[in-house]
Amino acid sequence: MEKPVIETRHISKRFDMTQALCDVSLDLYPGEVHALVGENGAGKSTLIKILTGIHRPDEGEILLDGKAVQIHNSQDAQALGIAAIYQEPMVFPDLNVAENIFISHQDRGKFVRWGKMYKDAEAVLAKLDVKLNVRSQARGLTLAAQQAVEIAKAISLQARVLIMDEPTASLSAHEVQQLFKLIRSLRSQGVSILFIGHRLEEVFEISDRITVLRDGMKISSKLRSEATTEGVIRDMVGREIKDFFLKGATKRGDLLMSVRNLSKAGVFRGISFDVYGGEVLGFAGLIGSRRTDVCLALFGIEPADSGEIIFEGKPQKIRSPQQALELGITYASEDRRKLGLTMPMSIASNISLPMLPRYMNVLGLIRRHEEIAAAEEFRRRLMIRAESVNVPVERLSGGNQQKVMLSKWLNANPKVLILDEPTRGIDVGAKAEVHHMINDLTDRGLAVILVSSDLPEVLAMSDRILVMREGRQMGIFEKAQATEETIMTAAMGQNHNVAEVAA
Amino acid sequence: MKRLLSMTSPERVRELILILLIVLVSLFFSSQIPNYFNARFFNRVSTSVAITAVIAIGQTLVFLTRNFDLSVGSIVGFTAYFVGQQLTRNNDIPPALAVLMAVGIGVVMGAINGVIISYGRVPSIITTIGTLAVYRTLLIEFSDAQTVLTAKLPKWVVDLPRVNIISFGDLDIRLVVGIMLLVVVIFQFVLTYLPFGRRLYAIGSNPEAARNAGFPSQQIVFIAFVLSGALSGLAGFLFLARFGNVTVVAGQGLEFASIAAIVVGGVSNNGGSGTVFGALLGAIMIDLLENSLIRWLAISEFWRDAILGMLILLAVASDKLVLSKLRSIWTRSELQITDETVVEKQEAEHHVAKA
Amino acid sequence: MLQKRNLFLNSLAKLKSWEGFLLFLLAVIFIINSQQTSAYLSVQNQINLFILSIEKIIVVLTMTFLIINAEIDLSAPSIMGLAACLMAWLYTQGVPLPLALAICLLVGVLCGLFNGLWIAYANLSSLVVTLAMLICYRGLARVFLEDKSIGGFPEWFNLLGQKPLIGPFPLAMIVFFVLLVIAVVILQYSGFGRHVFVIGNNAEVARYSGVRVKRVKMLLYVASGFVSALAGLLFAARLGAVRGDTALGFELDIITMVLLGGVSIFGGSGSLFGVFLSILIVLNLRNGMSLANLTGHLQTGVIGALLIFSVLAPNIFAQVRAAFRRRRVAAARDEAC
Repeated sequence: MEKPVIETRHISKRFDMTQALCDVSLDLYPGEVHALVGENGAGKSTLIKILTGIHRPDEGEILLDGKAVQIHNSQDAQALGIAAIYQEPMVFPDLNVAENIFISHQDRGKFVRWGKMYKDAEAVLAKLDVKLNVRSQARGLTLAAQQAVEIAKAISLQARVLIMDEPTASLSAHEVQQLFKLIRSLRSQGVSILFIGHRLEEVFEISDRITVLRDGMKISSKLRSEATTEGVIRDMVGREIKDFFLKGATKRGDLLMSVRNLSKAGVFRGISFDVYGGEVLGFAGLIGSRRTDVCLALFGIEPADSGEIIFEGKPQKIRSPQQALELGITYASEDRRKLGLTMPMSIASNISLPMLPRYMNVLGLIRRHEEIAAAEEFRRRLMIRAESVNVPVERLSGGNQQKVMLSKWLNANPKVLILDEPTRGIDVGAKAEVHHMINDLTDRGLAVILVSSDLPEVLAMSDRILVMREGRQMGIFEKAQATEETIMTAAMGQNHNVAEVAA
Repeated sequence: MKRLLSMTSPERVRELILILLIVLVSLFFSSQIPNYFNARFFNRVSTSVAITAVIAIGQTLVFLTRNFDLSVGSIVGFTAYFVGQQLTRNNDIPPALAVLMAVGIGVVMGAINGVIISYGRVPSIITTIGTLAVYRTLLIEFSDAQTVLTAKLPKWVVDLPRVNIISFGDLDIRLVVGIMLLVVVIFQFVLTYLPFGRRLYAIGSNPEAARNAGFPSQQIVFIAFVLSGALSGLAGFLFLARFGNVTVVAGQGLEFASIAAIVVGGVSNNGGSGTVFGALLGAIMIDLLENSLIRWLAISEFWRDAILGMLILLAVASDKLVLSKLRSIWTRSELQITDETVVEKQEAEHHVAKA
Repeated sequence: MLQKRNLFLNSLAKLKSWEGFLLFLLAVIFIINSQQTSAYLSVQNQINLFILSIEKIIVVLTMTFLIINAEIDLSAPSIMGLAACLMAWLYTQGVPLPLALAICLLVGVLCGLFNGLWIAYANLSSLVVTLAMLICYRGLARVFLEDKSIGGFPEWFNLLGQKPLIGPFPLAMIVFFVLLVIAVVILQYSGFGRHVFVIGNNAEVARYSGVRVKRVKMLLYVASGFVSALAGLLFAARLGAVRGDTALGFELDIITMVLLGGVSIFGGSGSLFGVFLSILIVLNLRNGMSLANLTGHLQTGVIGALLIFSVLAPNIFAQVRAAFRRRRVAAARDEAC
């Protein structure tokens, strides 16, 4: 039996009042791809940060080749042969490919020898079978190419342990396969890879071993051959998959919105669908399928170039969010922190924001009591756990923040509510509450467009499911035809003729 | 076409355009001003470029890291005055010591900026607006509103601006210009060939990645400010040599001239891109404009600042609007992974090995 | 020794609000100044110290809005200078003064519009744009007056700047207090003010919530241009003469007063109460220094140091608090998981 390259033993870590990791032991063998999975907040990122020296463990130790080591900062990690690659590649856009590979090297002499550097960079890339012009600026590289540069950098630093934190999150299906090719080639060269993934099909495709974290604890660790999808999911969520809330059948209401041949150059094209009151239209597809971009076009943030949007029988050109709001279309973004809520401001001012004119008197002053009353109403209805609506949103938990965001958009009295990944990063209980709420809304005749990468969720919640792949519509499936298999095959781009089924 | 593109970069193209503009501007003025090209004019422009460019190079180092140094004008003023006063009092101070004194004061003032910005985490614009006032105040308090007079300076200082290194016919390359060219060469070398220089680019290009890569960012930014101070100190000495008379307002406005020079020269205010050569071109452009406007009788010389301001704005706007378009012409590089069979073979071997 | 240090840190940590600190600072300045001369506390002296800087503090109001909105207008003092110079030039060209005043206010609006266009619609950094325009507008001001000083305006204009209008207050002071009240109402109570805060916190969230971000920015720059021009004209009226360097370098005092008032340089937070306190601090400090016979230049240096301090102090403050938190967390760590 080979010895593990790196081991963590009984690692625990606390932040303020939350226990991020508790007694986690993990090992990584040479030439192994070890997948680490778990829901958001399970402790994956904390573990990575401990391995790369950004955080120190409160308890436990890290062993490299069987010897205890201290990792104080990223230079230490680098010296020990540990490298990490993140979802958003950390390249320097103004520097060229070769320099990006070698910028962290300490041993290349007092001066930069450009000629030698280009040659060395080409050698490193050749070793990985990657073809890239080493003189081109990193600015022009695709995300996948930037990741390849980072991998090349790690390899050139003699990394023996490569940690990849959700590297596929923003890649297209084709790019994912290229990345996997790279990973396999690294593995064959004896590099150990800790692969943090969120898409199980990928995890099963690439890894040799799968470890599940939940609430900071290690739940299971199995060889791929012994693991099953259901088992892993059970370990991740701590319950059976069929616990998913099933949307009750609702009567399809009136036609609210028809979209015909919506296109935006270089982003998406030929998107056509109808939305009826009282139904949930699911948007399925892998990341990079441009579902969010379609939503942004409907909400007027990034208007489409061509195509028709017919809202309540009238053709509309939606050029701005204000216009969408007036029509009754609202969009709750997937990125709560950056696009959804102003974190330091109160619950009440977040909820009232899109509809602020409603709370203003003739002088443009805000009628605070009405604003507070409206927010209070939502706090009761959605059971937002906070002492008062004057609390800054940043002090709430993820699930409660999500509820504030839903309140913000429900307060706008939408006819069509677009929810982009509404349950990402919130706990199981809050998830169920969100699902109940969606059901509630459609009962009242609202139309909901539900964008979700969580396939079981889309299947359970939607009346119909539109599947996208790389900016194109692959088909619309009625609930009866939609299964995990049919949706996935469409999303992966096999079997084009299914597109006809829906029409 | 592709080969042509690979031989150059959008940044090079930009510099070429700037050279072309400098030529066009001088051609324009030569058509307007009789006897425009003469040796005196060349010397006047070249010595004023010498001062602007030295400061602009320091400003470039700071700009590369996404910072500003607005205190350079005050540092120039203070060092010019201080060194001038010492020389007036003691005519025997050797030239080397005088230069060292100027640079030393600049280093101290730059270090104060650097500590506050880098370690105190105060935005550079705030810090240097503050020290702009503080250093100028020091000068005024120190000088008691007296003026350094040429007459009292040692002879070598007074003669310095007229010392030639080499002459081409009527055109002289003065010593101060030589010093400036030396600074250009040194810092172009630092920025291209020293790890420190490359890290200045890296920090400005992606500060978060720089932190992640474990660069001592704080220390590097600190050094950038120290160097900016040192170069301002040197410029202060050149200022003293050029004008001889130094009043308490000496060097006022040079912070703007230096920013104008480098922004026009293509140093990005978002950090990470720009060259010393570009900064030099920018300095030539604005000093050429300034000195030509003084001689152009058609409009008042007071248009100088108005034009300077518009020039900065146009440079920034054109970078934003045009350079991004220019960049998109350079092909986007797609990831290509070749030779699948090799990988698959290795893959197979890997499995065999495991079994 | 160690205990003493802890006591000091504890009392620092208790002083939670910046405004509390400003009040303390103001009290200290008051006490020191009143020790110097009994005249200091007289109503006339207090009014005088306002009048001496009244034009700056009028511009402080619009600058507060801009900095909360995560932007800045370095060109404001140049717009003040441009308005004053243009007015003087128009007057020498025989344009009736009321018309000249109106034109100058309009030019202020246009300057703001020009700034706003580049910043809101071309997405250029406000720091660079307004720095460029600081130079440009000042240059234009010099183009009009070259190196001349122009005075001899009609008597009514000078009186407007110098004579008390209502009670002991001259026009500029009334303008300031009226604008202050309007600013407080808009910033703290109106929908527009809310938008200013939201954009300052996170402009993308604002855009995704249907806020017209560009229009808000544009309005703020136009307001800044208009108010700066107004302040420049009031300055001309008070001094009775205008030069090319009128209001030169005022950005130092203006930005110091805004930042010392607790407005975050990164936008999204701050209050006019804090800014008003810091105005009082800066004015009384300057007054005190004058009483102590310190020159105007030295005062400028002190203000420069104060500017750095106003940002440096909260940073140090935050680090002290973080150190305390770490200690608390360390204590909590003993609990088992």
